[in-house]
Amino acid sequence: MVRLITHNLLACHVKNCTSNNFPLAFKDLGDTSLPAEQPDMIDDEFLQKLHHVLLEIHVEEGSMVCPNCNHVYPISNGIPNMLLAEHEIG
Amino acid sequence: MPKTSVTPAQIENNPQAHEDQHVHAVYDKIASHFSSTRYKPWPIIAHFLSTLSTGSVGLDAGTGNGKYLPLPLDRPPGSICTIGLDRSRNLLEIARTAGADVDEASTIKCMPREVIWGDVIGKGWRDGAFDYAISIATIHHLATHDRRKLAVKRLLQCVSPSRGRILIYVWAIEQDELSRRSVPTESYTKNDSLAESGMGPGRDVFVPWVLSRQNTNNGKLKGKLSKDPLASRSNVTDSTQSCTNGTSIEVTLMLGPDEPQVFNRYYHMFAEGELVELVRSAAGDLGIHIGPIPDQTLSSGPGMEWKGRGLEIVQDGWERSNYYVELRCWEK
Repeated sequence: MVRLITHNLLACHVKNCTSNNFPLAFKDLGDTSLPAEQPDMIDDEFLQKLHHVLLEIHVEEGSMVCPNCNHVYPISNGIPNMLLAEHEIG
Repeated sequence: MPKTSVTPAQIENNPQAHEDQHVHAVYDKIASHFSSTRYKPWPIIAHFLSTLSTGSVGLDAGTGNGKYLPLPLDRPPGSICTIGLDRSRNLLEIARTAGADVDEASTIKCMPREVIWGDVIGKGWRDGAFDYAISIATIHHLATHDRRKLAVKRLLQCVSPSRGRILIYVWAIEQDELSRRSVPTESYTKNDSLAESGMGPGRDVFVPWVLSRQNTNNGKLKGKLSKDPLASRSNVTDSTQSCTNGTSIEVTLMLGPDEPQVFNRYYHMFAEGELVELVRSAAGDLGIHIGPIPDQTLSSGPGMEWKGRGLEIVQDGWERSNYYVELRCWEK
């Protein structure tokens, strides 16, 4: 599984890609339950939404794109592939 | 119990290619059988995981079949979240459901494991993102001192600089009497390996994994290691000869249908003191001071003005053929 709690820890590590390299972007997640900005008041309703997004959404197939260098990290069978080709390793 | 023979190994010019051939490809081929023999957590590691506070998120660098991902078992599932990283895709497929059998028997629903396909010397995460990191029986598969040091640096970088906790296990030259392996002692001395390889103490070896046809053909796995690999040696390339020539070992194609397959995995067996020295060297490269957490109640004295990142060696030792070290990060 890739839960978003795991995705939230990942960053691009292509050679020389050291800033603006996370969060990796999903192409189309289809979930808009969380606001773009952190709300002033953290209430139960918000925590439940956060729990849902972090722990209950699993991405089985898809890809994550670095916002800085556009490197694509594929996900297949619930396993993200963070390996780089030899020339991409810093 | 028959002992499997360990043979000296030489690293080819490209350490990445060496690991690809003698570590990653081997684990992908033996994944199922390997996993069936790796189910019992080692006590010091289980204890380390049980002492982490609820809500901790950690990295298992070189998770293999994910046997540490369900721990601790004496607390509710999901009390901590260990994310498994491995280079072998086939082992990760097994790690995804690690601990599922145990959970099916109980009323508690199995929490699917989080796993990432990656290299332990890569850096596909935010700095300081994890509360803890473990690397069990993994760093000894890296082919040069610099790559092993880089793997330790990655662990130091991935945890919280102010409170991250780390546990590392690697294979020791000093094997206990219960070990299945016999290690060559005559042809290698510490000085030899130092002088020849320039890679510090320790020994580079191939360790055979014997995969019987029974385990590959009908998919029914036996939770046992190996018949005597010497029995099959005559049918395969002489591995000792191959190693000393630095050429590759091809063992799979000339066996009869009932012959076991032998896969040689590369290991760097650590010498006494080598693991702690590796940690010191990695910390030094990152400008991290080695020493106990300073007493915050002291406001004056030598070095009290110093600010920076520190690393305490909580414990280190030898247990059942492995060296281990536990670390705790601090900042002031």
